[in-house]
Amino acid sequence: MLAFGAQAAEERFEIRNAFAQPVDGVWQLTAIVDLSLSRAALDALAEGIPLTLVLDIEVSRERRFLLDEGVAELQQRWRLEYDALSERYVVVNLNSRAQATYPSLEQALDDLSRIDGLPLIDENLLVAGSRHDVSLRASVEIGGISTAVKLLVFWREWSRSTEWYTWSIRP
Amino acid sequence: MIRRWLPLVIGIGIVLWVVALALLAVTTRDSEEFGRLQPWILMVNAAAVLVLLALIAGRFSELIRERREHVPGSRLRSQIVMMLSALVLAPLLIVFTFSVLFLTRGIDSWFHVEVRQGLTDALGLSRAALDLRMREFLARTERIAEDLEYERETQLFNALAEHRRLADAQEILVVSAGGQVEAWAAAGLLDGMPPSPPNEALLQARGGQPFVSLDPVASGGYVIRSAVPIGVASSLQGRRVLVAVYPVPQRLADLAEAVQGAYQQYGRLSYLREPLKVSFVLTLSLVLLMALLAAVYGAFFFADRLVQPVQDLIGATRAVAKGDFETRVARGSKDEIGYLVTSFNDMTKRLARARAEADASRQAVESERTSLAVILARLSTGVISLEPDLTIRVANHSAGDILGTDLQSRAGQPLESVAAEHPLVAQFLAAVKPHVAAGQTEWREQVALKADSGRRELMCACTALPGEGDEPAGLVLVFDDITQLLHAQREAAWGEVARRLAHEIKNPLTPIQLSAERVRRRLLGSLAERDAEVLDRATHTIVQQVEAMKQMVNAFSDYARAPAVELASFDVNKLVREAADLYHAQDARVRFELDLDPEGTVIEADRGRVRQVLNNLLTNSLEALEGRDDPRVTIETRRLAGAGVRCVELAVRDNGPGFHRDLAGQMFDPYVTSKPKGTGLGLAIVRKIVEEHGGRIEADNDPSGGAQVRVWLPVDEASRGATLPRATKRPEPRREHA
Repeated sequence: MLAFGAQAAEERFEIRNAFAQPVDGVWQLTAIVDLSLSRAALDALAEGIPLTLVLDIEVSRERRFLLDEGVAELQQRWRLEYDALSERYVVVNLNSRAQATYPSLEQALDDLSRIDGLPLIDENLLVAGSRHDVSLRASVEIGGISTAVKLLVFWREWSRSTEWYTWSIRP
Repeated sequence: MIRRWLPLVIGIGIVLWVVALALLAVTTRDSEEFGRLQPWILMVNAAAVLVLLALIAGRFSELIRERREHVPGSRLRSQIVMMLSALVLAPLLIVFTFSVLFLTRGIDSWFHVEVRQGLTDALGLSRAALDLRMREFLARTERIAEDLEYERETQLFNALAEHRRLADAQEILVVSAGGQVEAWAAAGLLDGMPPSPPNEALLQARGGQPFVSLDPVASGGYVIRSAVPIGVASSLQGRRVLVAVYPVPQRLADLAEAVQGAYQQYGRLSYLREPLKVSFVLTLSLVLLMALLAAVYGAFFFADRLVQPVQDLIGATRAVAKGDFETRVARGSKDEIGYLVTSFNDMTKRLARARAEADASRQAVESERTSLAVILARLSTGVISLEPDLTIRVANHSAGDILGTDLQSRAGQPLESVAAEHPLVAQFLAAVKPHVAAGQTEWREQVALKADSGRRELMCACTALPGEGDEPAGLVLVFDDITQLLHAQREAAWGEVARRLAHEIKNPLTPIQLSAERVRRRLLGSLAERDAEVLDRATHTIVQQVEAMKQMVNAFSDYARAPAVELASFDVNKLVREAADLYHAQDARVRFELDLDPEGTVIEADRGRVRQVLNNLLTNSLEALEGRDDPRVTIETRRLAGAGVRCVELAVRDNGPGFHRDLAGQMFDPYVTSKPKGTGLGLAIVRKIVEEHGGRIEADNDPSGGAQVRVWLPVDEASRGATLPRATKRPEPRREHA
C-alpha cells in the first residue's frame, strides 16, 4: 500500500479530463482527477492523519465588453483516512456525510478520482445561447494540523493543488 | 501630555503582549482552539517584535546622536543600557538553551519504540479478538445461506427476518446475480432500499470465496460485514449473494475504538514530531526575542529614570557656572539622588543670596565711586591718582584745567608721556619726581609753573593709597591753583602800601609846594641875578617834582581806592568803537582793526571803569608801538556762552615788541613795567577793575608777534560767580578798520 503511495507520489496531480452535460434539466459534471499524493501526504495518511480532498468548481458567463459574470461556485470536500484497526481506507463525503470504506488506498483514490454525474447547476440558471466557462480545481491538504504549526513550519508542503481546468459549455 | 499617558500605554501593551504570547502557546498546542485567531495572534506577536525593534532602534539612534554631541549624561545612559541588556541577555540565553534542549528531548521521549510497539501489539490484540468474532459471524452467515438455498422466493423475506433475529444480525439481505437486492431484513426501519453492499464483497462472494470485513461506520464504532454465495451458480444466472452485517459487541467495540484512537493519536503526534519541535522552538525564540527586546527597552526606560536627575544636575551646574543662580532642579525621588538634588538646590540658594549681597556691596561701592567722581568733577582742586609707576589712574577735570590739558582722557597712560607733550605737566612732573625717587609718599609743596599766560602757583599735596604690605597701591596728588590767592594777597598788600603812600606822602606835598613858591616869591627879587636864577630853577624843580609826585600819589590813590561799581547795561562794541576813534584821532599813524561780534556784546558793568580798562590797554599798545613803521592795533570782541557762563571776550593785540620774557607772570603786579616813564600801575589797575567785575584777564605774546591781552567780562550778575574760561580758540577774525 505504501509502496503504491510512493509510486503514486511521483505521478502527476492534475485534472485529467472533465466535461458537463445536461441531464433532465440539470448540468452534471464528470471528471477524472489524477490524484497523486505527495510523500508527506502519504506519510501523514499512514500515521492516521486524515487528508482532505477539495474540489472547487466555478461557473461563469462570458460577456462582451464586460468582465465575466460569476454564475455559480461549488465546493465538494472529501476526507480520506486510514483506519488501522480495520485496515481499511475510509472516504467520507463532507458535504453529504456519506461514507465508504476500501481495502486499499488504490481503490479509495480510484473512487475519489472519478467524479461521475455530480449535479452542477440548474439549466434554467444559465443563459441559453451564451458561452459559459466551467473551471475545476482539485486540492489535497493534510488535515488536523494547527494553523500556527502550518505558519511556523511553512516550508513543508501541507497542501497541494492542481491547476485550474477550464472548458466552455453553451446551453 | 504624551509623557503622562505613556506608562498607561506601555502597561496596556505589556498586557496585550503577555496575552498574545499565552494564546500563541495555547494555539500551538491545540489546533482546534482559536483556529481562526492563530494568524492574528502570530501577527500581533510579530507586530510587537517590529514595534519594539523600531522603538529600540529609535532609542539607539538617539543615544548615538547624544554621544556624538557629547550631551551630558549620554555616556552614563549608554553604560546603564549596555549593562542591563547584558545582565538580561545572559540568563535569557541560558534559559533559552536549556528550554530548547529539554523541549526537544521531552518531545523525543514521547516516541519511544516501546510505546509504538505496545500500541501496535494492542492493535493486533484487538484485531485478533475481532477476527474471532468475524469468523463466528461468517459461519453464521454461511449457515443462513445454506438454509436459504432452497427457500422459495415468496418466503424469502420472512425467512430472512427470522434468520436475522436468530443470528442477531443488524442487517441481512440477498443480492441477485445481477446485483439487485432481492430481499432484506433489518433491525430497525429503513427508509427505502438498503444501501448496496460493497462491490468487493459481492465480487469475492460470487467468486466462491466467503467475504468478511470489519467496517468503521460514520456514526462511530464498527460493524462486521460478511458475504457468502447462496447455493451453486447456474450457468445463466450466476450466484446470488447473502450479505449480513453484524454489530460488534459494545464492550469489544469500546475497547477496540479506544485502542484505535490511541494508535491514531500516537501516529499523528509521531508525524508532527518534527514540526511540533520546530514550532515550539520558534515560539520559544519569539518569546525570547520579545523578552529580550522588552528588556532592552526597559533598560532604556530605567536608564532614563536614573540618568534624568543627573542630567538635570549637570544642566543646572552649567547654568550656575554661567551665573544663573536661580536654577533649581526638581526633586523626583527620595533616594540618594533626591538628597543630592536637595543639597544642590540649597547650594544655589546660598549662592544666589551671596551674589545678591555682593551685588549690593558692589552697587554701594559704585554709588560711592560715582559720588566721589561727582565730587571730584565739581572740585576746583586738581586731583590725580597715579599708579606706583606714575601711570595715570584717574584725574578730574580741574586737574586738567590747571595743568592745561585733558588728563581724564589720558587715564592709563604714563604721566611721563603726557608731560612730553605738555610743558605745564612736564614742570609739574619735575616737581613730583624727586619726592617719588626719594620714596616720599606723604609730602606737601608749593610748585611754581611758568605758562605763556603767566606764572602759576600750585599748592600740591601727595598721599599714598594703601596697598598690600608696605608697598603703596598708588599715589594721590591734590593741588590747587593758588595764583589768584597769592595775587589777592599781593594786591591787598599793594593796596595798603598805596593807601599809606597816598596818605603819608600826599599831605606834606602841598606845604612843600607852597613853601617853595613862597620862597621863590619872597627871595627871587632880593637875590642877585645869579642866585635868583639858581633859586628860580630850584623852586621850579621842586614844584615840578612835587606835581609829579602828586600825580604819582593820585595814581596810587586811584589804585588803592576801590569805589563802588555802578552797574549798567551797555554795548562793549560801541565802547570799543568810541575808544578806537579817540585814539586814532590822537595818532593817525596807528591802524586800528576791529573784529567785533555782530551778535551784540551788551553786558552789565561799570561803563566808566570798563572804558578805563580799554583806555589803559590802548595806551599801553600805543606806547609800545612808538617808533614802529606799521603800527597796528587789533581789537576783538566775542560773545561766549556755555556751562552756565555767558561772557564777552575782549582782546587787544598790537604788533609791537611784546612783553618781555622776564616779566612773564608779573605783568599785572604794581610797579612792574618795561617802560622808562611808566608807573607800572596800568595793567595792575586793569586787572583790579576786571576782577571787581568778576572777570578774568590774561596777557601773553601773540604767536605772530606783539602783545595781546584778553579780558573776559561776565554778561550779567548770574554769570559773575561762575568760572570763566582760561583761554578760547579764536575764530577767524573779521576785520573792521578804524
